[in-house]
Amino acid sequence: MSEGTRGKPWNPYIAGALAGLLLVLSVWVAGKYFGASTTFVRAAGMVEQTVAAERVATMPYFMKETPKVDWQWMFVVGIVLGSCAASLLSGTFKVQAVPDRFAARFGPGVGRRFGVAFVGGVVAMFGARLADG
Amino acid sequence: MDLIYGIVTGVLFGVLLQRSEVIRYDRQLGALLLKDMTIVKFMLTTVLVGMVGVHILVDLGLAKLSIKPLILGGTVLGGLLFGAGWGLLGYCPGTSGGALGEGRLDALAGIAGMLVGAGLFAEAYPMLKTSVLTWGVYGKVTLPQLMDRHHWVLIPWFCLLGYALLRWLHKRGL
Repeated sequence: MSEGTRGKPWNPYIAGALAGLLLVLSVWVAGKYFGASTTFVRAAGMVEQTVAAERVATMPYFMKETPKVDWQWMFVVGIVLGSCAASLLSGTFKVQAVPDRFAARFGPGVGRRFGVAFVGGVVAMFGARLADG
Repeated sequence: MDLIYGIVTGVLFGVLLQRSEVIRYDRQLGALLLKDMTIVKFMLTTVLVGMVGVHILVDLGLAKLSIKPLILGGTVLGGLLFGAGWGLLGYCPGTSGGALGEGRLDALAGIAGMLVGAGLFAEAYPMLKTSVLTWGVYGKVTLPQLMDRHHWVLIPWFCLLGYALLRWLHKRGL
C-alpha cells in the first residue's frame, strides 16, 4: 500500500461484512457470540476481591458472573491489542485526551472530559447490565 | 483453548474496528447526532451477515442460538440508561478498549467508570431482581416464534429492510 492511502479508513460495509464473517466463524469454531459488558462485571469482581474476597463470594451477581478470565475477557483484551497494532501499522495511533468533537463543543479541558467520560461509563454499564446486554 | 480463541478473535475484531474508525468518539457521537452513520453502516452489515451465517450453521446443526430472555423492565430502563451513558462517554464497552488501543486516553476514564458501574449493579442486583427484573417477563422468545413464520421467510425481509436503510443513508450522504 502506498503512503498516501495507508491511514485511509476502510470501507465500513466491507469491514462490517468481515466482522460478520468473523462472528459466524467464532460461533462455528468456538461456539462464542461477541460481547463485552460481562467482562466489566468479572473485572470489577476481581478488583473487589483484592479488598473484600469473602464479601464478593457471597454476592449473588458475582456468583452468577464469576470473577474470572474467560473467552470474552480475552476477546476484550484482544480488541485493545488489535486496535493498537492496526493504529501503529497504519500511522493512525494518536495519544489524545480530549476528542475533537468534544473539544469543539465543551473546550479542551481534560478534567471536564474525563469527568463526563467517567460518569457516562458508570451510567452506561449499569444500563447495559440491567438490559442484560 | 477458549482463551486463545478469545484473544485471536478479539485482535482481528480490533483491527476491523480501528481501521474503519468506528471506535472513534467523533464517529460514535456523529451517529447519535444523526450526522455520520459510519458505525450504523458497519454494525448493520455485521448483523445482516451474522444473521444469515449463524442461521445456516444452526440449520446444519453446527451451532446453537444464544437467546436472552425478554424482560421489558430491564430492557427498556437499561436501554434508556445505556443510551444516556453512551452519549456522555462516546464509547461503548467494547469500543472503549479499542479507543484505548489507538491512544485515546479519555477511554481510560470511561473504563474506570464502567468498572464502577458494574460494581454498583452487582450491589443493586438483589433488589432489582425482585422489582424491575420482574416487570414484563416473556422468556426466551424470538421473532420467527412471535410472528409464527419460518426464519428463512423472515431473513430475506430483514436483509431487504437493512439494504433499503443503508441505501437511503448513502443517498443522503450520511
